[in-house]
Amino acid sequence: MRIPSVFSALGFGLALGTGAFMAPAAAQDFPSEPITLVVNWPAGGGMDRAGRLVAEYAKKHVDVPIAVINVDGAGGATGVRHVADAEPDGYTVGILGASIISSQYVNQNANAIDDIDYLAFFGPDPAALEVRSDLGVSSVEEFVAKLKEAPGSIKNGNDAPGGVSHIAAALLEAKTGVKLSKIPYQGYAPTVAAVVSGEVNAATLPVHQLIDQHKAGDVKILGVMSTERHFMAPDVPTFEELGIDLVAGDWRALYVPKGVPEERKALLEKMLVDTTNDPEFQAAAQKMGFVITPMGAAETTEFVRKSDAELYPILEEAGLVKVRKK
Amino acid sequence: MAVFFEFVTQFADIFSNPYMLLLSVVGTALGIVFGCLPGISSTMALAILLPISFSLAPSEAIIFLMAVFSASVFGGSISAVLINIPGTPGAIVTQLDGYPMARSGRAGEALFYALGASTIGGVIGLIALILIAPIVAGAAMQFRSPEFAMATVFGLTLLAYSTPGATFLGILSGCIGLICGMVGFDSLTDVPRFDFGSSALQNGINLVPVTIGLFGIAEIIRNLNVTSESGKTVTRHIGRIIPPWAEIRRLWKAVLRGSGIGIAVGAIPAAGSAIAVAVSYAQEQRLSPRGKDFGKGVPDGVVAPEASNNAAVGGALVPMMTLGIPGDTMTAVLMGALLIHGLRPGPQLFVEHADFVASVYVGLFVAILLTAAMGFLLMKQFIRLMQAPRHILVVAIILLCVIGSFAIRNNVADVGVMIAFSVVGYVMYRLEIPVAPLAFGLILGPILEENLRRSLIVSDGSWMVFVERPIALAMLLLSLAAVLYPVFGALRPKWAKADVGK
Repeated sequence: MRIPSVFSALGFGLALGTGAFMAPAAAQDFPSEPITLVVNWPAGGGMDRAGRLVAEYAKKHVDVPIAVINVDGAGGATGVRHVADAEPDGYTVGILGASIISSQYVNQNANAIDDIDYLAFFGPDPAALEVRSDLGVSSVEEFVAKLKEAPGSIKNGNDAPGGVSHIAAALLEAKTGVKLSKIPYQGYAPTVAAVVSGEVNAATLPVHQLIDQHKAGDVKILGVMSTERHFMAPDVPTFEELGIDLVAGDWRALYVPKGVPEERKALLEKMLVDTTNDPEFQAAAQKMGFVITPMGAAETTEFVRKSDAELYPILEEAGLVKVRKK
Repeated sequence: MAVFFEFVTQFADIFSNPYMLLLSVVGTALGIVFGCLPGISSTMALAILLPISFSLAPSEAIIFLMAVFSASVFGGSISAVLINIPGTPGAIVTQLDGYPMARSGRAGEALFYALGASTIGGVIGLIALILIAPIVAGAAMQFRSPEFAMATVFGLTLLAYSTPGATFLGILSGCIGLICGMVGFDSLTDVPRFDFGSSALQNGINLVPVTIGLFGIAEIIRNLNVTSESGKTVTRHIGRIIPPWAEIRRLWKAVLRGSGIGIAVGAIPAAGSAIAVAVSYAQEQRLSPRGKDFGKGVPDGVVAPEASNNAAVGGALVPMMTLGIPGDTMTAVLMGALLIHGLRPGPQLFVEHADFVASVYVGLFVAILLTAAMGFLLMKQFIRLMQAPRHILVVAIILLCVIGSFAIRNNVADVGVMIAFSVVGYVMYRLEIPVAPLAFGLILGPILEENLRRSLIVSDGSWMVFVERPIALAMLLLSLAAVLYPVFGALRPKWAKADVGK
């Protein structure tokens, strides 16, 4: 039982090389060839783990193999372009995150949110405010008070401008009227290392990145930037509960290029929504720290447009709108 | 002690359980093959095979993935030695001496050295992981942006030593690498630069296609040129496989130094094996009595980086196991695999799942042993592949180069980069400009820039941050010493002469 599964997965690995070159098939027997799932960040990151998890559990709902490939570069924009420019035959599907919103305004070559068709929602990855315990701050209120007294006195580890945790930090500043020293890192792992080593004393990372340090007492998660408390840290209040209207963080969604025939899109949507509703998938995702909120194509599109509209003024204020000005 | 006991029991378990043994053998074989293929890095090998582990029990999954991880690191050196193309980024310097050895009919020896050093380096890394993990993890955390910046400065000063007799050309080549490292998205402000508006250049110049072009294709053009005159072929002779004992014994220092550097660099979060091998090669070149002959096929130049990239495996696991922070992208994939099984690496793991911690150690140990055994058995077969008719071999290698540079990011632009750098590599060869410093510059440049700038942001623009922190200061002084050493040498010609006279 187990050994065959090893070999079937091997075939899955080998399909990686060929998946991208498959010719389109007739509509009625879709899908009859391997589907390629494009991850727009490198192997090993959160987006990659999410993509591979979806591919693995979607196998139950589709007869063809799903090969995951990583097309990274240009801050996530290269992978999205790869999908947007692919043959719209339904055999190329992508997974992307909130970076599409900010990259469309900094990079002329990046795709805009309406250049692609959304199929399904994976889930949000809410940001949170974490501080090192030795900062001597134990609530959002104290955090804000400390910054009001000495603006810029707290060093916050976050992404480069336009990245998800950077936007979360910028929103936090805007909503509470404080000034942080925002220190840029390339990705979450280096930011976690910076918090643990003490190079910065706060961070605006997703909850699961620092949950262990929170439990061990080295780091305290002060608040979650989400509408609901996070399942991994049920003791931490949301900013909304604290009277601050602050919702920020990453999210992940699946999409196809424009022009895929409707019936194929419907099939892919069903396959993905069935996958994200699968309790086994949800259990596996939860273990990895992912929040899963299944949504179909229409709701996902609405969600992306809404976050775009909400983020635009913040990006503009931060000087992060260089192209596609509204 | 409890861990040691657990270690022995689990080790016995694997060898008495045919299914576990099969898993490790399959993992090792896949690791060697994937590692050997240019463009499939150890990270990608792990990511591709990760879904297999979903259906396995945690202890089985970790043993399988450890086998892939460890074997792919050695696999990368096979193609580096035999066809001058690094199979993984961790093998980029192995070829500098490994390939010249193979060219002169010592392919067997070169692979033996690579395998031997890999095995010993791997075991030393594992011992470090088990014994001194908490200490190393603590020390690695002292490494912040200023230390990274100064360590890179030290690495760059070593560049000057990497090309004896052609120091200025070496520095020139290194500068070309530094400039190439600036293309793409600025790491701190996320603004595209030096891209001339093209989306191809926005991806930046990736190390893998550059090394494939510079070393692989350029080498083929060079070979075509040579054979048209003298009829000399690529790697024809296997040579003996086991070198004389006196030769092997002489190399222990190089292996130890390489392993030490590998563990230290591996344990620093986000440093990675490409940096470990670059540092250990440059360091070995300085310290080895045969330093002057580096690049011409000296075993020292093979064993140091090979010990280093395998010791870095153990090193990279240190921050993952003790702090829950992956040391590089490979351990990030491993961490993902553990998370799927509900095992969260970090301090709590030692308390809650001590038996599993032992599984990780045992998995790595079994992987090192199997890699050594399978590598040794398959060595002749790999070399025999190289004896295929030349016209087939050359086409196959070019095909591998193209696929490899595409596969690293699934990006056609990277194939363009590879082709451009094959021309650059050939032109540099004709002009007798060394190419290795270019690759070093490309690795070190972005790290220096990012950390230097971030240090200054954190310090509010004060350059004193590099002098006030002890480790950073030590690195800075070492760099100064490295730069000034030749100056002193010139000031004391008698002393220098006496030295040469010996």
